[in-house]
Amino acid sequence: MIKGFKFDPRTKLTVVLCISTLGIIINDIFSLIFILVLTFLIAKFFHVNIKRSFKNIKKLLYLIFIIAIIQSIFSTEGKALLFIGGFKVLSTSGLGKGIQFILRMMIIIFSAAIIGTSNSREIIQGFVQWGLPYDIAFMVALGIRFLPILTEEVKDSLIAIQLRGIEINNIPIKKRISIYSYIFTPILAGTILKAEKLSIAIEMRGFRAYYNRTSYLVLKMSKWDYLIIFISIILTAYIAIINFTR
Amino acid sequence: MNSLNFIELRNLYFEYKEENPIINNINLKIKKDEVTAILGPNGSGKTTLGKLIMGILRPTDGQVYISNKDILNMTLAQIGSKIGYLFQNPEKHFFSNTVEEELGFVLRLKGLNEDYVENQVEELLKLFQLEYLKKSSPLLISQGEKQRLAIAAILINDPEYLLLDEPTTGLDMERKDILIKVLKELNKKGIGMTIISHDHFFVEELFHRVINIHRGEIIYDQRI
Repeated sequence: MIKGFKFDPRTKLTVVLCISTLGIIINDIFSLIFILVLTFLIAKFFHVNIKRSFKNIKKLLYLIFIIAIIQSIFSTEGKALLFIGGFKVLSTSGLGKGIQFILRMMIIIFSAAIIGTSNSREIIQGFVQWGLPYDIAFMVALGIRFLPILTEEVKDSLIAIQLRGIEINNIPIKKRISIYSYIFTPILAGTILKAEKLSIAIEMRGFRAYYNRTSYLVLKMSKWDYLIIFISIILTAYIAIINFTR
Repeated sequence: MNSLNFIELRNLYFEYKEENPIINNINLKIKKDEVTAILGPNGSGKTTLGKLIMGILRPTDGQVYISNKDILNMTLAQIGSKIGYLFQNPEKHFFSNTVEEELGFVLRLKGLNEDYVENQVEELLKLFQLEYLKKSSPLLISQGEKQRLAIAAILINDPEYLLLDEPTTGLDMERKDILIKVLKELNKKGIGMTIISHDHFFVEELFHRVINIHRGEIIYDQRI
């Protein structure tokens, strides 16, 4: 049935909402591992390219690991695992919290990748048909559209700096941080200018968030969409109840 | 390889999508002291070729050598120290808050003497008629001014070679003449350049060799 079948973006949004809710409310590491495996399977089911998603968030993964290490260092409860100079650097509770953080972030990131399999126009329509005012739905979609632009701006600025002969990876960390903070303002200003130009361009083409809108694209849920939404909600509620009553 | 061959492309192949090559098996040797013009219609692969030479894009197949060194073994900074690259979109160059900072930023970061940096900045501001914009944001100046600033920002680094992607976009005749004069002076000093352009008048004033590319292949290559 599923091969070549196009799911409604509302189904994907519901699934993502369910998975991320479970990722947040569950604290047990083994349950989180189970949810993560489930996330991978569901993402695969929605044709997410897992390998490419891993590649895209490679740098973010480093950051997640660093935050997890810092978090584990500052949680001092539990049995000590590592001492440095008489200080408890790593404890069982710290390690547990670090692992929980990594698993949670992975669940949220990979479940969010499911939304990426629908285009922004379909997502707006999904929100609108859910009853969200068009202006807000449009703003959300524009926000999603601007994220890759912001990433591109940062990448371009870093390429431009390096092409001017600066070995950004070899300079001391303090100087490197000052470069990043230095380029932050023009990148932000550039993005705001682009947003302004975009708003002028769309208004010039007669676009406005009028109260009455006619949409060429109308989403229609199939029985498979209803089935998946039903299973997702029931399963989420079941796992959540088991988790809280255990 | 001849010692004068500064850039060498060997069986260069690049594609964004499978089976759809943007650069299709290009073999090319570019001499250091020459001005080489790369011409071709929109979408012929000129900018992609420039980005492959600079290491911004990685070839799907084949190699790029700069001074006999495979650029896969070089960092962007090492390539950028040898070749000054002008992006097709000058805005991609800018990462500072003011025009003055944009020019002096790299020299200051390299720890050069402040008087020297200021002199260099003033000289280039004057040459490219940008003095009155010194305190302006690079993002809020006109297209022609952005283009002049981007070129000035490259030249402040004293590159051995220049790769200019559409350097005349947004420039009026007077500014084009100034740019031609500056580039001719640089060429006299032994700085070679590759100019990717649509502007036949501009390249005719400068080039020693012209290369035409079409659908990622060289269809014409002639020295004058």
